[in-house]
Amino acid sequence: MTCEDYLEDPETNASHLASCSICATLEEEIEIRHRPVAVDALPLAPWEGAKYRTWPLVGAGLLAVFALAIVLSAAAEVSPLTAVTSSMPSVQALLTFFQLTGRAMGAPVVAVLFVVINAVLILLLRRPPKGADV
Amino acid sequence: MYKRVIVPMTALAALLTLFAVVSPTGAKGQSRGEDVIFANKNVTINTPVVGTVQMYGGTLHVNEVIHGDLMVISGTVIFAGRGRVLGNIIHAGAVLQGAEGRTEGRIYPLASLEGAASALTKTAIVASLLLVWMITAVVVTLMSGREIRVSSQEVRSSALHCFVLGLVAMTSFVLTAIAFSYLVPYVVGIPLLAALAVFGVLTKVFGMIALFHAVGTLVAGSRSREQLSRRKWLRGDLAMVVIGVLLLGAIRFIPVIGPMVWSLASIFGIGVALATKFGRREPWFLAFRAANA
Repeated sequence: MTCEDYLEDPETNASHLASCSICATLEEEIEIRHRPVAVDALPLAPWEGAKYRTWPLVGAGLLAVFALAIVLSAAAEVSPLTAVTSSMPSVQALLTFFQLTGRAMGAPVVAVLFVVINAVLILLLRRPPKGADV
Repeated sequence: MYKRVIVPMTALAALLTLFAVVSPTGAKGQSRGEDVIFANKNVTINTPVVGTVQMYGGTLHVNEVIHGDLMVISGTVIFAGRGRVLGNIIHAGAVLQGAEGRTEGRIYPLASLEGAASALTKTAIVASLLLVWMITAVVVTLMSGREIRVSSQEVRSSALHCFVLGLVAMTSFVLTAIAFSYLVPYVVGIPLLAALAVFGVLTKVFGMIALFHAVGTLVAGSRSREQLSRRKWLRGDLAMVVIGVLLLGAIRFIPVIGPMVWSLASIFGIGVALATKFGRREPWFLAFRAANA
């Protein structure tokens, strides 16, 4: 057993201390404080209680929004499904919009902007996320 | 391998793509020289227009035939005399006067809420959409609560970065869509646009739900462990998301302010979805280093 083995896993290789004076001296010099951790003093972690599912709140919220949608749709004389589908822009209109805007801007401008904006996007995407979770 | 093959291949692919975007006239589509574009002008069309007309702001009097499409982004269009559009009319934030029965094609509002007949219909649409958002938010949170929570944390801890990223990403989506629209005559543009649309919608939906969680946590989240243990209803990812949907949904009903707030929320949402790679916190790009011999 070498000193390196001991340093990698001191608990398993504890018998090494008896045969090596250097490691034994190191072990004596290291001060290990066994302080109890006050869990309540620590800030609330984001994951604490996160899995809890409040079904009454979800049900009440869904019911309230559903009732509102039904009442308003009935008052406006449209079905909620029609209201949702009518709010989606037409594919044909969007395609024409993109084509006409592209023609108005001019292909060279679009190409340069495309490269520049996507280069900036890639640079921004390289930044690692900040928030931490366990 | 990297310097000899990958770099030249990437450069070649980029050049070919750029060439395809810059030179779409080789395609079977329309030529580019027949468009008439107005920006913030008061214009009257008294002679027939062969191509399309685009107007960005200002007032347009159409007294003659437009053989192509008419696109109006903000501004007013007044039809009179022989004024007709043989293509489609596409408008956003614009006022159309006397347009009924003067187009061979269809009238498309880019944002359909503007096309809604009355304020009551608009409110009904908002409420119906809110219901869809609520159901989607609950389902997605149940399926991937941890990812939503991680993204919610990210938007709260680095809001500015998420906003900037969202803004750049939205611009990139639009520019990419414009670039892909050049490739529509080559057919390959259609699947590319479809893929971009799916990615954009997924990004927005995930990001908005993360934002609902963030808003819910900011407003109703527990501040201490004692508070958390005392609570019966207001705890957990699902509750935070529902609170966020209800709050932002209530704001959405306010005229003018509501759409603005939701537009801002969309920018934050897209930013946070991309910043956290949909809550997975994985790098988008692997560090690529040539192996040492």
